[in-house]
Amino acid sequence: MLDDQAVKGLLLRTAARDEGSAEAFRRLYQICAPILLGVAQRIVGRRELAEEVLHDGFAKIGRAADTFDPLRAQPVAWMAAIVRNRAIDVRSSHDVSRMDSYHATVDDDPDGTLDRLFDWSPGADDEEDRRRASRWLRDCLSRLTAVERQSLVLAYEHGLSHGELASHLQKPLGTVKSWVRRGMKSLRACVEACMSGEAR
Amino acid sequence: MKVANKAQLDALCGEYLVGTLRGAARRRFERSLREEPQVAQRLKYWEGVVAPRYTKMIETQPSASVWNRLERELGLARYRPPWHRRAGFWRGWAAAATAALVLAIGVQLYRQEPQVVQIARLAGQDMASAVTAHLSNDGRTLVLHSARPVLAGPAQSYELWLLPPDGSVRSLAVLGSLDARFTVPQAHQRRLREGGKLAVSVEPAGGSPTGKPTGPVILAGPIKM
Repeated sequence: MLDDQAVKGLLLRTAARDEGSAEAFRRLYQICAPILLGVAQRIVGRRELAEEVLHDGFAKIGRAADTFDPLRAQPVAWMAAIVRNRAIDVRSSHDVSRMDSYHATVDDDPDGTLDRLFDWSPGADDEEDRRRASRWLRDCLSRLTAVERQSLVLAYEHGLSHGELASHLQKPLGTVKSWVRRGMKSLRACVEACMSGEAR
Repeated sequence: MKVANKAQLDALCGEYLVGTLRGAARRRFERSLREEPQVAQRLKYWEGVVAPRYTKMIETQPSASVWNRLERELGLARYRPPWHRRAGFWRGWAAAATAALVLAIGVQLYRQEPQVVQIARLAGQDMASAVTAHLSNDGRTLVLHSARPVLAGPAQSYELWLLPPDGSVRSLAVLGSLDARFTVPQAHQRRLREGGKLAVSVEPAGGSPTGKPTGPVILAGPIKM
């Protein structure tokens, strides 16, 4: 588990563009690169492509550090979103058939994947709002049907497109699209209901 | 058609976050993120809900070449900004101002406080939080008095800005508290005149990274001498 406060401090220090910024950025990379590489590798599959994504992602993190909002965003999630975006771009622009087959690496236990991927335990520095949101998300995910959950988790972890999901799950494209859509919709409805306090 | 108007804004945000939104549709959504604040705001909301805390189990060590390339390309070793842009300088200054204040309080036990006159009253939406600004006779020392104690959180600083009539924005001080006393930077002493304004914004610890206010302005008021 990364220490969010420490990471936040390093991001702010990077954004300050002062004499300590280069060192802060180096520390930020040391601490966060292994996890972000893991995120990238799950999406693009190949190691060298994942390192490419990590490089591009970190260059962007360095440039965009001053747009990080310390009051509203979680620092690791903020950086992971940048890396994920880059990874999804790279994945779409590369010929999937030339990449390592995700069939070999994707496992079909979405619940296990979720627990491996996400740390649901509340962090010491988490605000109550965030702890609550994390609890809702987990509860709401568990209320989805198994296929909906599997589609969402596969798409999220491995950056699979609708078409790739369809071929991996060996179902028609339309069916998979509707699973994803329904999954998102139920998840949204559930989270919103939790937020307005109607669900409990 | 604007994305913000679409009934399926939530669905688009969801598919964008999960990653199934691809190609041209993804580009279009990213453009609307830049152009339509409502879209950006809605996505921010969903990012808050679906914010992963990755576990160590997915970590994998990158090869050294990635960092070496980053370091070379970003020219990290060379970068050194002018002194007035360095947060360290402002932080040092804020610390010095605090030390000066402590010293001033100590010294005041023995010595009369130099004459100061009120030059501005800074008010926010909450009238109780008003702060008055006082300038010493020689125009070199600015003193802020807060109606009630206001301390910045650990990840924040307050920054006091001077807005001269010419439309520019000058940073006067980075503060941890709105009860403060500090020396006005020499370049700004002559700018501290009637017609200008003073404002306080909330910034990341150490002050605004850009040299301009980036956080919410919580207090503002005209200078009257």
